[in-house]
Amino acid sequence: MTNTTTFTSRRSHGQLRRNQNSTRFQSQVKLGPVAHTVLVALMITVLGLIYLTQATRLTAYGYEAQSLDTKITELSAKKSELEVQNARLTALEKVKNSNVASAMTTTETHYAQ
Amino acid sequence: MQRLIRSRTGWLAIALLVVMAAFVLRLFQLQILQYGKYTELARASQQRQFIIPAERGKIYMMDGKTPVPVVLNQAVYTVIADPQSIDDKERSQLVDSLREIAGGEMTENVSERLNNKKSRYEVLAKNITRTQAEKLKKKNFAGVLYQQSSIRNYPEGELGAHVLGFVNAAGEGQYGVEGSLNKQLKGRDGLLQSVTDVRNIPLTVGKNNMRIEAKSGDNLALTVDRNIQNQTELALKKGIEAAGATEGSVIVMNPKNGQVLGNGELSDLQSGGFCQAENGSVFVDSASMVPFEPGSIIKSFSFATAIDKGVITPSSTYNNTDCIKVADRTMCNALRGLDGTMTIQGAFNNSLNVGTITAIRKLGNGSQINLPARQTLYEYYHDKFGFGAKTGIELGEASGYIYPPDSAEGNEVRYSAMTYGQSMNLTMVQVAAGFSSLVNGGQYYKPTVLVGTIDESGNLKSSENKVIRQTVSGGTSSQMRTMLTTARRSSFLSKSDKSGYEIGGKTGTSEAVVNGAYTQKGNDCYIYWLWRWKKWCRICHNGTCSGSRKRD
Repeated sequence: MTNTTTFTSRRSHGQLRRNQNSTRFQSQVKLGPVAHTVLVALMITVLGLIYLTQATRLTAYGYEAQSLDTKITELSAKKSELEVQNARLTALEKVKNSNVASAMTTTETHYAQ
Repeated sequence: MQRLIRSRTGWLAIALLVVMAAFVLRLFQLQILQYGKYTELARASQQRQFIIPAERGKIYMMDGKTPVPVVLNQAVYTVIADPQSIDDKERSQLVDSLREIAGGEMTENVSERLNNKKSRYEVLAKNITRTQAEKLKKKNFAGVLYQQSSIRNYPEGELGAHVLGFVNAAGEGQYGVEGSLNKQLKGRDGLLQSVTDVRNIPLTVGKNNMRIEAKSGDNLALTVDRNIQNQTELALKKGIEAAGATEGSVIVMNPKNGQVLGNGELSDLQSGGFCQAENGSVFVDSASMVPFEPGSIIKSFSFATAIDKGVITPSSTYNNTDCIKVADRTMCNALRGLDGTMTIQGAFNNSLNVGTITAIRKLGNGSQINLPARQTLYEYYHDKFGFGAKTGIELGEASGYIYPPDSAEGNEVRYSAMTYGQSMNLTMVQVAAGFSSLVNGGQYYKPTVLVGTIDESGNLKSSENKVIRQTVSGGTSSQMRTMLTTARRSSFLSKSDKSGYEIGGKTGTSEAVVNGAYTQKGNDCYIYWLWRWKKWCRICHNGTCSGSRKRD
């Protein structure tokens, strides 16, 4: 197959305006119906593969998100448990009955007159 | 055509055409005509909806100026087993591990439950902590699942149980702040709608996926100070034991802003232990929900009304007698033998009913509490001090009742009794809020237990409690403070007063009505206010102190 380029002067087709192309190149390669069909089928296949890849990646992200959600829930549970423990350790009754409080002595208070 | 039909190829073509037509028609039926039905079936089998539970707001009390948590959420786990999936060898190990780790949280007859091979769902332990669940998970028992949920935790035990209320099994707040501010605490659940895989794990593919985030409930900070609350409950318990009383309530309010600092109740109600309560009345916060006949503490309000209207002053005098005739009744003083000229302050110190009736008569024609006098008294009691109407406090609340002056029951006899706190039903919160206005310059604040909210960083965003109305003038309030202080000093109660504090107050006693008649049993009340005087010292060269006093 040889590629040839034809030059067609457009000046002869009519009046030209300023800055308008006056030549055009026309490829001599012609695709038949079979080639067209094959190309279309290939394009569809490639697009399908791209779609499948993206969908699989999305699903993988879904699993990752789910895993992160589970981790957040676990950490929240851990945080809430620590909060409860902290609150219990600083509760009035706990502080009152602590060894430190038991070892304290009372002092006499003098009020301003 | 005739040749085509007759040939074998022709027959094959026709057969293929028929088959193809059948396929096309069937596909048309499935994909076009029954599109909606099959789409719905696919959606139902592939798509799931998950509720994202909103975290319920925490509740804080104050410790001075620092909020401290008194109601928290705790993640707990329920241990579930499928007896059919558990090996005989592992069964005894599982029971031993549960006994060792879960202890008291185990359900009854765990061994029998695990031996029940017909069942595929048995609960082995409830409300175990995360640490306990983690220990059990490490044992890696087959056929054992852990279901997470959240319960309310009360680190301060029974402190302020009536103020806090509880959350029932359905997640709804009941009584106290949990009940009245349930909507604010509850937040809003979220929703996750998604296509899932066979393990029900949500996938991101699917055009109808939807995620609405949950909105956590507000973290509320109460005005109640846990130290004051603790002392209030201890003092109440001691007082009740000393007096041999059957019931008792104490409310401590900051008169400068209407904030409730302590609200004590005599009960063994444990926070969160509502399931153990045998009688529903233990949940009731008497201070806001049980109207009572306040007795002579109301004389503070009656005298304030008369002073504010300019018909008496604390030094005004009247002729005191033991009893006074009111319509067809005779009303008497509890303290007899004080006949003669008496000042209003003297009547207040000795809690003389005749003095109060005489003062309020001056709002009318001077000889009786007529309609104009009753209307004035009602205006002050109901419209200004808020008696017989809900105050708006963030707790369950009763309105109480006082009779309007133009009703058949609102006659002179009733209003005479009302001047010294009988024939009316008020809540302690109403009286405390009104009394605060008497001593703070006449400004009425809505009583509140809510100081603000705590944001995610733990910072308190406090909301200002604004003045709602003026009850009495500043001058009247000043005179009332003097009257109350004088009354306190004249009382035996002042003997235990600590120096450095200015305390004013008024006693009140009323007889309880049993079967329509007054009995010796009744309510003893005391309402008081105090200022603490700080003495600012300036050290001089000779080592002595001097300075001015500042009210705190």
